[in-house]
Amino acid sequence: MKLSMNKKPVLASRFTLQASPGPRPVACGVRRAACGVLIAFFCLGMACRPMPKAYIHKLKNGHYQLIVERKPYIIKGVCYNPIPIGQNHEYDWCSDSSRPWIVDGKLMQEMGVNTIRLYQPCPNTENVKTVIRDFYQRYGIRTIMGHWLGFWEYPCPFYGDKAFQEKVKKEVLEMVNLYKDEPGILFWTLGNENNYSCLGLVNPWSSDEIDKETNPQKQKVMRAKIYYSFVNDLARAIHKIDPNHPVALGNGELIGLEVAAKVCPDIDLVACIIYRGKTFGNLFKSLQATFDRPIALTEFGADSYDAYLKKEDQNMQAFFLESQWRQIYENLANNKKGAGNCLGGTIFEWTDEWWKYNEFDPAGWMVHNTEAGWSSGSYYFDIKAKDNKNMNEEWFGIVALSEELENGLNKRIPKKSYYLIREFWKNPRLDKNKKKGVKSK
Amino acid sequence: MKKDFAYFCFCVIAFMTVSSVVPAFAQEKAVSAPAVSTQPQATIPQATTEPKEFVVYSDKNAKGNHYIPSGWMGDYSDIKLNDQSLVNPHSGTTCIEFVYSAKKSQAQGWAGVYWQNPANNWGSKKGGFDLTGMTKLTFWARGAKGQEIIQKFIVGGIKGTYPDSASVEAGPIELSDTWKQYTINLAGKDLSYINGGFGWTTTADLNTGGATFYLDDIKFEADPAMKPESRKSENMPFYIYADKGSIKNHFIPSGWMGDYGDIKYDGASKEDPYLGDSCIKIIYSGKATQGARWAGIYWQNPANNWGTADAGYDLAHATKVTFWARGEKGQERIEEFKVGGIMGEYSDSDTAGIGPVVLNKEWTQYTIDLKGKDMSYVIGGFCWATNIDVNPEGATFYLDEIKYE
Repeated sequence: MKLSMNKKPVLASRFTLQASPGPRPVACGVRRAACGVLIAFFCLGMACRPMPKAYIHKLKNGHYQLIVERKPYIIKGVCYNPIPIGQNHEYDWCSDSSRPWIVDGKLMQEMGVNTIRLYQPCPNTENVKTVIRDFYQRYGIRTIMGHWLGFWEYPCPFYGDKAFQEKVKKEVLEMVNLYKDEPGILFWTLGNENNYSCLGLVNPWSSDEIDKETNPQKQKVMRAKIYYSFVNDLARAIHKIDPNHPVALGNGELIGLEVAAKVCPDIDLVACIIYRGKTFGNLFKSLQATFDRPIALTEFGADSYDAYLKKEDQNMQAFFLESQWRQIYENLANNKKGAGNCLGGTIFEWTDEWWKYNEFDPAGWMVHNTEAGWSSGSYYFDIKAKDNKNMNEEWFGIVALSEELENGLNKRIPKKSYYLIREFWKNPRLDKNKKKGVKSK
Repeated sequence: MKKDFAYFCFCVIAFMTVSSVVPAFAQEKAVSAPAVSTQPQATIPQATTEPKEFVVYSDKNAKGNHYIPSGWMGDYSDIKLNDQSLVNPHSGTTCIEFVYSAKKSQAQGWAGVYWQNPANNWGSKKGGFDLTGMTKLTFWARGAKGQEIIQKFIVGGIKGTYPDSASVEAGPIELSDTWKQYTINLAGKDLSYINGGFGWTTTADLNTGGATFYLDDIKFEADPAMKPESRKSENMPFYIYADKGSIKNHFIPSGWMGDYGDIKYDGASKEDPYLGDSCIKIIYSGKATQGARWAGIYWQNPANNWGTADAGYDLAHATKVTFWARGEKGQERIEEFKVGGIMGEYSDSDTAGIGPVVLNKEWTQYTIDLKGKDMSYVIGGFCWATNIDVNPEGATFYLDEIKYE
């Protein structure tokens, strides 16, 4: 039943013998007849359905695995958005004639990366296909393809509005139709931290019905129900046109998943964005108790600038990342210690992005800004920085960018994290620093 | 979540800062103190066999005494010390008498004393002892009347350039009017450098009329029978707040966040408490004093612990947190009530919350569901937060009977 990499899966063929390249019936008398009955039986029972290229497998012990090409697959990934120095998020890097993904793909392969995460496809379809193919064919790296679901649309994402929903749905299904047959596609991710809009804190939206409700807690639940129902509708529609790839619900932390549990039966996994420093805490078991789906950590990491001492600190970043990867591995399937529901993760992020501190200041895009943008006590080494602001958005890459150009690209300089995680993936050690209270620095 | 942390000292055990306010008495006493080694990194005198004990105090001027009770903290003017009291010593001829007036002379609401080496060493000098091999500290204590409450007894915990290698606390302890021995388990602790050999703190809330108490025979002991203490799971109910000064209270409302200047906290309000004789009254002015446009308070253990100290309670038996709340006018909106969620070097094991909550004018009970949550390690026992956008005129509200169940 193994599908060829480039073979286009045809839905109708799932019910035909030809779809199965397995052993054919022996042509002799009764055995032939018996085989025919047997085959018919299995086919009616859909035993001949081709296995999806990637799917979620729930084990008898309740643990989850991502199966790709019939083998368990641990996502060892990075978020990929290679904006060069001097550009900002509007830059179409897929159209960059210097093809940054060729250089990056090689470095990733050497590190052991097997997956990249894209937040949304670049505008040019053919360029996107080229990127996916180059990553996969040259380096064996698969792509998690995402969609923002209109989260950044002005003035806000009206998830309660049918016309808005239809518009987003059309975009999403177009994306799936365009790329579903690319062998490098791993799965789809719907949204990122869009659930925060249901709290009314980021990109707040509402509807007439919600506005009529005076209890703010109920308003929150109403928004969550609308949003997650919409995402589930998208997932169901994707499954109809693409049975070969799972669909993930992008979510900030676990917030709102108690609602998703009730309205998202078609979601295959949760793709979580988590910034909790050295530990994910009770994340995995908490998800298990709230919404029993596997989890991929599709955004996590640490920056490499000490905002307190005002100097680069690659050790600090490496310390956090190694600790995070250790916990990811502890929670993979068949590990007695963990929850068994983790599929791996994609580090935020591959390269530093120099535009992030002030996205409206082109001059600032040329500077590797050291001003911290927000505060998190989880990253405690530099929490004593002024106003406790210690998170440096421009320093999250595990590969630094140099102003020096190499073949038209900013030269890539891997940081300590790159090497440390490379070694961890080669030989994952889960017992280091397991003693509570061990000083980390 | 992007939040500013405000390390605002509400009920601070700010060891570093109080060193400058140690009263002259303590300094004089330190200067005249006999038989105290001031050698850098002192060690237990070597003997042919391993030492069995290391005395902090046995009798006034006893040769074996170590450390000086020089580190007076908080409302230091509320403390009187007599280290040669003849009133019914436990053994020998003298004991130590402390009189704590609870007058809040320095407006701190709490006070305490550290035994240090050398005197007044808040971690600026290398003077601690290597007490490796000791497994417990024992002392005898009694109150003048009984029912005096000591918030905690301490070993180690002084920070600074030369920090103590361990920090261990025990308490609160309610004293009786007869001598009783107490033990602080030190087994498994790194005692290689201890400058703060012993200490106590208490609060005016816990001792409204003050407290007179006695200590005697304070010593470290090498007891091979002592085993490292595993963190015990607390019994339910486990109170955050029952009443002002209640020994049942846990956690300190020390984590003032955002526009902390907009908050007034009264932990002893008599304005129609839900139960008992007091409740918590909070006034949020909504003036955006620090420019954050929001404010809140975390109840922490110990005070001001933003995940920097390994001091979480094991509340794994809890299935919910309940509390009663009311607004002064009704319609005050609290964006979030939360438990856990402090992240740092030592992070809370989980978090849960409810909100936004629009308060009623009448007392109403609210519940935070903890089913499926891992509350085995909690530094941030309780928290509320609100903002100026939903309370443009500010908000006055009351809380009572906050507890894990």
